[in-house]
Amino acid sequence: MRGAALRLEHVAKTYPDGTRALRDISFAVRPGEFVVIIGLSGSGKSTLMRCINRLIEPTAGRIYIDDVDITALSHEEMRRLRRSIGMIFQQFNLVRRSTVLTNVLSGRLGYLPPSFALMNYFPKDEVARAMANLNRVGIPEKARTRADQLSGGQQQRVGIARALMQEPTLLLADEPVASLDPATSHSVLKYVEELNKKDGVTVLCALHFLSLARRYGTRILALKGGEIVFDGLPAEIDERRFKEIYGEEAEEVEIA
Amino acid sequence: MKQDALAPRPTLAPPRPWFQSGKFLLFLAGLLVIYAYGWQVTKINLPELVAGAKFVRPFIRDLVRPDVLTRTRQTQQVEVAMSVDPAVAPEDLPAPSGPVLRTSTQVAPVGSQVQVTGSGFRPNAQATLFWVNPIGNPQQVGRVMTDAQGAFGATITVPEAFRGPEAGPRGAQQRLRVVVEWTVGPLRPSNTAYIVLQKIVETVFLALMGTTIAVVAAVPLSFLGARNLMTKNPVGTSVYYVTRTFFNIMRSIEPLILAIVFTVWVGLGPFAGVLALGLHSIAALGKLYSEQIESIDPGPIEAVTATGASALQVVRYAVVPQIVPPFIAFTIYRWDTNVRMSTVIGFVGGGGIGFILQQYINLLQYRQAATAVWAITLVVAAMDYLSAVVREKYV
Repeated sequence: MRGAALRLEHVAKTYPDGTRALRDISFAVRPGEFVVIIGLSGSGKSTLMRCINRLIEPTAGRIYIDDVDITALSHEEMRRLRRSIGMIFQQFNLVRRSTVLTNVLSGRLGYLPPSFALMNYFPKDEVARAMANLNRVGIPEKARTRADQLSGGQQQRVGIARALMQEPTLLLADEPVASLDPATSHSVLKYVEELNKKDGVTVLCALHFLSLARRYGTRILALKGGEIVFDGLPAEIDERRFKEIYGEEAEEVEIA
Repeated sequence: MKQDALAPRPTLAPPRPWFQSGKFLLFLAGLLVIYAYGWQVTKINLPELVAGAKFVRPFIRDLVRPDVLTRTRQTQQVEVAMSVDPAVAPEDLPAPSGPVLRTSTQVAPVGSQVQVTGSGFRPNAQATLFWVNPIGNPQQVGRVMTDAQGAFGATITVPEAFRGPEAGPRGAQQRLRVVVEWTVGPLRPSNTAYIVLQKIVETVFLALMGTTIAVVAAVPLSFLGARNLMTKNPVGTSVYYVTRTFFNIMRSIEPLILAIVFTVWVGLGPFAGVLALGLHSIAALGKLYSEQIESIDPGPIEAVTATGASALQVVRYAVVPQIVPPFIAFTIYRWDTNVRMSTVIGFVGGGGIGFILQQYINLLQYRQAATAVWAITLVVAAMDYLSAVVREKYV
């Protein structure tokens, strides 16, 4: 599997209520990079992530994935393209009442005929693929458990397994560990890192803690007020840059 | 309080305890007035609870021996012709073969005592003596057990009985009847048990049909009554308010009142009950369903959409799992509620077990009424348990 290349040109998003969440964002990501996006709450990280798979329609600019302009795609073409873009969320976004296995299998829906859904049918090889992915994130024994019975860390691993079902070339991770404790954060991010290193998947990951960003990122993008204020290597973020991104009062907190 | 007024006021009075504060005393006085008026206006009369106990005693007694099982009953019946007027001879009845009933005299004025003996009857059985007037209405005058030889003896007082439409000599010709009764064979379900069983099944199905009608109407309506779906434009908002108003008005009308309306409309019987419960349940379920739709978590919808699933797949795997289990749970709960309500609806003619329960009570057939009461209790408890199990499993 090879990672996708991503390029944004002058992307902007203004919400109907007038909020300018993104203003003129341009950057390019090479295949296989692990880009960490940092910034305060409300700096536009989530909006940026959702513009890339068009869960939110950007109001201006162009987005290229492997040189395909996705802003020009029809709804149906976009749906097909989404199959190769995995996404994991801060709140995990699992269907709480469904089993872990069903949640994982739902990652494969884009590849299956919609008529299967009416009968709740999944082919045998897809079930086997789901079990393999659950195995990969270390919770195969939870397959028949209801999703809401799992701990936060386990739920996020189900989220990763669901994204794995898509065989993605690009993974969007919207603050995947913001609801987890430090130890669990590392165990979850290690799976994301493995996906990046082993499978070569390009990763775009929003994180809150600079220490985590430095530990996992190969490159850091900082957003502030909907604009990129920093784009460089993790080592380049010093005290001065940190205050630029997070404001004068900010203190850096360490996460073990 | 009075001491406070006389004593010199200290510069910094310690705060009075809360139960001495003026506000609290005022509150207490207010409560007292409210409850005093309430006691009076609701005519609470505790001695009546004791004095009136004798009226419910027969019912309570029969409650513990409902008419469920019975044996086949056999009877022997013999009559003796009597006259209450010395000037009128008794009828000439053909002498019966078999058991014999004799009286000390066949001419006995009203209020006189008559010795009654019988022989050849079934041994150790209940014999009941009736005085029968010229138009055939019996009136119980005695009760006695037959001995081991099938004989019995009793003394009765001749009662004042109706002498028939024409007060001629014929009116003095009356009869004494004895009925000896015993049971044979094994216990079997009584007729009441069959009727109650049939009616309780009718009740459960009445509730089921009412609930089904309600589900069919409430599912689509609930989407119109969901704030998160409808309040995106003015048309939707007005539809939302109309739907919610309908729910609230219909929910506030008791099914009992609806049942009265429908018995006038479609006549007495279970159909009226089905309509009444159905209409009320549309509103009750519609409101519950709407609130469930409003509380859908948009997260899973976003996540499944992001995997490249089509709209149908998103509905099936992100929306349906969030609303169908609670819908099922609410529906079963409603069915359970409707079984309970249909009992009351039967009282106003809406069919089901309430209909016959009311008849039994009016006819003072308390053992039969008890059978119906127990059947209702059992079914309601069973439904309650079932719905709890299902709710636990699905929600």
